Amino acid sequence: MSRALARRETIAGYLFMLPSLFFFITFVIYPMVMCVWTSLFNSTMGKEAQDTFIGIANFVELFQDKIFLKALWNTILIVVVSVPTVCIFSLWVSSRIYNMPDWACSLFRVIFYLPVITGSVAVTVVWKWMFNNYYGIFNYVGTSLGILEKNINWLGDERFALWCIILILFTTSVGQPIVLYVSALGNVDQSLVEAAQVDGATDLQVFWKIKWPQIMPTTLYILVITTINSFQCFALIQLLTSGGPNNSTQTIMYYIYYTCFKLYRYGYANAMGVVLAIIIAILSAVQFKVAQEK
Amino acid sequence: MKKALALILALCLALSVVACGGAASSAPASESTPAEGGEAAPATTQITLATYPIGKWSDEAVVNELIAGFNAVHPEIEVTVQYLDYTNGDDAVNTAIEAGTAPDVIFEGPERLVANWGAKGYLVDLADLVNPNTYASVIGSCTSENGAVYELPVCMTAHCMGINKDLFEAAGAWQYVDAESHTWTTENFVKAVEALVAYGHTNVGAVYCGGQGGDQGTRALVTNLYGGTYANAEHTAYTANCAENVKALQLLKDLEGINFDASIVGGDEVSLFANGTLAMAFCWNVALENNNAETIQFDAFPMAFPTESGDPVLQGGIWGFGIFDNGDQAKIDAAKTFVEYMTTGDAYVAAVEASSYWPVFEVEGMYEGNEQMTEYGLLVPYMGDYYQITKGWTEARTAWWNALQAIGSGTDVQEALDTFVETANAAANAA
Repeated sequence: MSRALARRETIAGYLFMLPSLFFFITFVIYPMVMCVWTSLFNSTMGKEAQDTFIGIANFVELFQDKIFLKALWNTILIVVVSVPTVCIFSLWVSSRIYNMPDWACSLFRVIFYLPVITGSVAVTVVWKWMFNNYYGIFNYVGTSLGILEKNINWLGDERFALWCIILILFTTSVGQPIVLYVSALGNVDQSLVEAAQVDGATDLQVFWKIKWPQIMPTTLYILVITTINSFQCFALIQLLTSGGPNNSTQTIMYYIYYTCFKLYRYGYANAMGVVLAIIIAILSAVQFKVAQEK
Repeated sequence: MKKALALILALCLALSVVACGGAASSAPASESTPAEGGEAAPATTQITLATYPIGKWSDEAVVNELIAGFNAVHPEIEVTVQYLDYTNGDDAVNTAIEAGTAPDVIFEGPERLVANWGAKGYLVDLADLVNPNTYASVIGSCTSENGAVYELPVCMTAHCMGINKDLFEAAGAWQYVDAESHTWTTENFVKAVEALVAYGHTNVGAVYCGGQGGDQGTRALVTNLYGGTYANAEHTAYTANCAENVKALQLLKDLEGINFDASIVGGDEVSLFANGTLAMAFCWNVALENNNAETIQFDAFPMAFPTESGDPVLQGGIWGFGIFDNGDQAKIDAAKTFVEYMTTGDAYVAAVEASSYWPVFEVEGMYEGNEQMTEYGLLVPYMGDYYQITKGWTEARTAWWNALQAIGSGTDVQEALDTFVETANAAANAA
């Protein structure tokens, strides 16, 4: 290929990238830079309000803020519980359904994917009704069967509220991993599976030695996406508990929203955003590293 | 062929960028619409009205009728309406303010217009539009500490309680109610709750604290029971940790039948009352009764909050117009024309009726013969200090339901209220 042709192709390539690059810079890079920049200021709402440079004071305050620390703990708990359960459950379901007849496999995929395509508000309203303290179905069934002595205020009791959120998050998170795993398992090289079986490998060995390495890229993708989604759990909290009771369902994302939109402390909220982004980046990097080593 | 395809594709992509960029360019602030045939027409000023759900001001048909009346007199002003709710309305307005696209006119109360957006310098002083007959206390609540009137008041009400009269009668609790004055004593309130529980209705009332929605009810309940206060008379500090409020909350905490419920807010409580689950609602007023008329299958009886003295102090609601200073004098003038129209003559009566509340100055014959408004009107004289304009109000509201949640979870009442006052006063001092 001549240099002129190569240059022309390079230019064409960049031109094709330009629209995406524009959106990426405008809606990702620029807000990221602004977020870091604003986190260094005491920035608030007001026509006459002036932003004051305060260096890392917002970050120092963050780690003395009991609510932030509680939110951080809750967020980590959500991630630690939901990421493995989502991955394991979706892998198990996928492994059971991927070799079923097409109609059955599609049916299960639709069932598990439905909560994903249903709007989060609609899903949340239904769950809120089911958890209702006075006439919710869980209390109705529980008390009718004698499992519960009296109604439980699922979302109003700090012992249960966060677990209810995790349960809802679980149901809305498994759809996409199941679809991806079904696809990945379907693409596993059958000749290797058959060869292993001929050599006397057990089902577990076939899965662990043959299938698992081949679906590793999918697993990595699911791990990263589920981790990010769990960290960014917001709508459920906003619609169900507003972070209560007693901050027991407070998450970093919700606390960012509250600090920004209710208290108008833009700098402080941005500082939280920076910390959250760093945590997510570190975890994602670790996940990539571990997966690559495998 | 390949080149042509690439060119078309590149053009499409480039156009999509231009199209998106085009959306960012703002239209001229005041737009004039040319008449057909190229003749110059009178300039049409477009303004946006944002309204919270105040009575029927959330009903598009009602609001359109009000605006049609305005346009019959002022065809040169085009009004676009944005309907807000109390869950996300503040966020929508705040985002619009930061984006430079705040509505021109907004219909809400002093806690937002005066204590928040007005105090932050976003609103226009409307002192020149105030009707001199407006009740002094109302004007006082709409006036900022710098003397500017950031809310042109339209209507007002006294938030009260609602009780299920049928259930009260069945449980033998009706005897504890002064049906004529719609008041009761703290002692009788307790007896009524006990009677209802004994009757088998275990969910008598809920101290809802899942969020700030309807928090005027829980504040009024607590401060009335033993005559406590929420903020000082100067509206500079919060005083809710007084001994009277501690006693009141302890009473509520210990009273069987009253649940501290962190899973619901005022709106949920109203629904639970309307469908008969709860025997009483602490978040209630005439508009709420009308809005839930189809659900309510019993006689919803409005009541003042119980007091030891028999002299209740109800939480007021005052709603009116604020005008955002968006830097366009033509729009400000048009907005002023709109609010002046809506607060004068027959249009004013229609605007107040749409709210389902009461006028802020004497309007002869209004609600005459209206049994429901006469009944609820008995409670309006109990309206107390409008302390919602105390500094740091936004943070104080959150601190309040957090305190109630803490009490519901077993935290010592005094400790929870001390934390509330500390947080709220810190916000007031920082404001």
